[in-house]
Amino acid sequence: MAGAIIEKMSTKKLVLFVFFILLFQIFSILVGALISPSPTTAIRYLATKCINFHRTRAWLMPWGSNRCQQVHSFDDPLAKTLDANDIVFAVHVPLPNTEMSPWFQYMLAVLQFDIAFKMTNQIEDDVVITIDARLAYRDDMTSEWTTKFHSVEQRPLRCTFAVSKTYENEGRFYHCDPIPFMELGSVAHKYFLMNLRLPVNDTMNVGIGEIKDIHVVGIHQNGGFTKVWISMKTVFSPWISVATVWYWYRIRLLARPPVLLEKVIFALGLSMAFLDMPVEWLSMGFEWTWMLLFEDAQQGALYSILFCFWIIFCGEHLMDQRQRNRLSAYWWQVGLVVFGSSVLLIFDLSERGVHLSNPFYSVWASESRSKVALFFSYLKPHITFIIVAGISVCLYFFSLCRMVYCVFRTIGGKMQQLPTMPEARRLHYKGIIFRFKFLMLATLTCAALTIIFFILNQVSEGHWHWGDYTLQVHSAFLTGIYGMWNLYVFTIIFLYAPSHKHNRKKSGDTQHTDMTDKPESQETQLTCGEQGPTEVYRITGKVAEE
Amino acid sequence: MTEEYVLRCVLMLCCALLSANASNWLKNVLAACSSFVADAAPVCPLQVQICKRSVEVMDAVRRGFRNRRWNCSTLESMPVFGKVVTQGTREAAFVYAISAASVAFAVTRACSSGELEKCGCDHNVHGVSPEGFQWSGCSDNIAYGVAFSQSFVDVRERSKGQSSSRALMNLHNNEAGRKAILSHMRVECKCHGVSGSCEVKTCWKAMPPFRKVGNIIKEKFDGATEVEQRKVGTTKVLVPRNSQFKPHTDEDLVYLEPSPDFCDYDPRTPGMLGTVGRQCNRTSKAIDGCELMCCGRGFQTQEVEVVDRCSCKFHWCCYVKCKQCRKMVEIHTCR
Repeated sequence: MAGAIIEKMSTKKLVLFVFFILLFQIFSILVGALISPSPTTAIRYLATKCINFHRTRAWLMPWGSNRCQQVHSFDDPLAKTLDANDIVFAVHVPLPNTEMSPWFQYMLAVLQFDIAFKMTNQIEDDVVITIDARLAYRDDMTSEWTTKFHSVEQRPLRCTFAVSKTYENEGRFYHCDPIPFMELGSVAHKYFLMNLRLPVNDTMNVGIGEIKDIHVVGIHQNGGFTKVWISMKTVFSPWISVATVWYWYRIRLLARPPVLLEKVIFALGLSMAFLDMPVEWLSMGFEWTWMLLFEDAQQGALYSILFCFWIIFCGEHLMDQRQRNRLSAYWWQVGLVVFGSSVLLIFDLSERGVHLSNPFYSVWASESRSKVALFFSYLKPHITFIIVAGISVCLYFFSLCRMVYCVFRTIGGKMQQLPTMPEARRLHYKGIIFRFKFLMLATLTCAALTIIFFILNQVSEGHWHWGDYTLQVHSAFLTGIYGMWNLYVFTIIFLYAPSHKHNRKKSGDTQHTDMTDKPESQETQLTCGEQGPTEVYRITGKVAEE
Repeated sequence: MTEEYVLRCVLMLCCALLSANASNWLKNVLAACSSFVADAAPVCPLQVQICKRSVEVMDAVRRGFRNRRWNCSTLESMPVFGKVVTQGTREAAFVYAISAASVAFAVTRACSSGELEKCGCDHNVHGVSPEGFQWSGCSDNIAYGVAFSQSFVDVRERSKGQSSSRALMNLHNNEAGRKAILSHMRVECKCHGVSGSCEVKTCWKAMPPFRKVGNIIKEKFDGATEVEQRKVGTTKVLVPRNSQFKPHTDEDLVYLEPSPDFCDYDPRTPGMLGTVGRQCNRTSKAIDGCELMCCGRGFQTQEVEVVDRCSCKFHWCCYVKCKQCRKMVEIHTCR
């Protein structure tokens, strides 16, 4: 491709353009830091131990006017007369006087058990806890509860005891890992009620220790964050869509068919427009439980096309004798990207896909059965799948770095030859070199900032205080990174669109410089790996020719 | 003032658990609670709640003082603790710290169960209204519990005015009790971004079990600093009496007067029951050993047949079936 806008723009205009981009970037960071609240909220509920004498299927409320009969602690005299199957742990999800809202987008639940140590009743190794879980909803405080889901789930119980196991330490609690319990893809109702039972018979729930209490941690996205996020998407969406349409219009105006690089830039614009689609507006009205899966797919599509774009951009700027211009020239890198993203997609489908029908499902539930799975279950859950995807990503980056290195070598070679070239060819190569360097700089800046902000996000607390203001670091990270990649794609679409200023004036020259590409590349033959004397020989040979 | 009744109720519960026997301690305590609460004119259901909740949480205290000369044995003549707590001794520091901590603990637990109406969304106490809940979530239950404890338990001390040294000591110890909970909160996180990555990570804090809080305050009791009031500029502060000791932190307990020797029975002072007849441990060199516990008076040894439970089998959730074993043990009691 020749004659992109970036090559024809004066330096002053380019600096002004970059300045405006930076301004928008800072604005999107500030929106996240100052206006938006923290991305998510976690509320810790203490389950109330209700007594269900007749083992009915009625819904038991932990508080309020219609509360169930409770036992406050299993040490009460009343508790001694009960059977384990009579106890129901009830949790009403929003606390009194609050309501859930569709702006919360999703609701996760994590269980934490308070298990006391007793010499005669210790937690056994590799024990699995069986939970009979039911979820109900209603939309006002007076109507009946409607059952939504019911499932009998099993989870591995992993607990450690910090001090020695002696009689002195009886009554102290184990430290148990939080158990991921439920993932609800949309919050369509105002009030939710969970009734959990731990059914006991000869084989089920034996060796789980003396459970004193169950805590349920409910996690949802803050309504304020959702509103800020949707506003950002609504602003970026038309902007990127219009830019993509304009870009394709410019391509169509050219006399020649579009090259591979132009097609990939168009695909990049399309995938960013796809990511920016504010589908969340519609999810407010409908109960779409597949939203989480859809958002993952949007991000995955963008990452895949972005990685492909980098490889193809580098390949097309290699300026060697191989005329690539077709996707099959990059088969193994693109293949790696596709393989890596399909692995992640399959994992996501198996976890989040099943949540559409059963929010209590977990792929980790049956992991503890076999020995091999036992090994994996001791690692952090997502590592086992991301290892495979991670290997693909590492190979991809290795290939990308090698290609970038080759391009820089070629550029180095070309720059030495520049003074000896005729005017048109010199401008042509200068253009190619400049636009490659600009993209490298932009991409490296964005990638470095993403990594720096990600690390900052992980190590810092959620909010910083600065005078009277509270800066929300997590929100700023999310909105800042989102804005940055949007601006990056916009920059590429705008600056790498064909420039009609050039085409109208010097269309003949364009043809000429395109033609001269081939003999030029035949002459230099500067492939990666050939070094030193060959190059000098070729340059001197060329000079001698002229 | 109703806060005073609740505070005394809470303090009295501590000792009720220690001296009354297990089968009717609950009955004693609830009876005492309701008598207090009935005295106070308009009664807030919240205070009754806290009173009842505190019964459960104070159990931890029993373990700390089981093996010491003063084992909180002042219930019989309720509601007064006697010199032990009216003077600014170490034991008083402990009692104030543990009661402030237990109020915070009980309120936080009640909030988490949904028993209290407002909690983190009560903008009178802590900032966010129920409408604010949808925008940014409410503040933590523990923040509400601590704020409630501050406004409830401390108000009695503040009303005496800042100048009283006992008030300063009590305020400091109350805060130390609350800080014992806050500085041992456990943070847990869950990653739930794209494909479960840590792009979006949510963390929350969990309260330690009250038994651990009791142990921490007991350790602070062992390392408590003796202080005196001094005027620095225009304010009165508590500084260590012995300037060679390093200054105390916010989390340490302070006391004004050294504790009396609990060895002998003093009929005029409620709570000074002495150590005659207390069980001691012959092999220990610590305060629960027979030399120190009996204050040098010597001890008697008896062989007693003890019927104990053994070969116990636990049936979840709530009962244990045991066999009974008999064995002979030596019991040492102070003269």
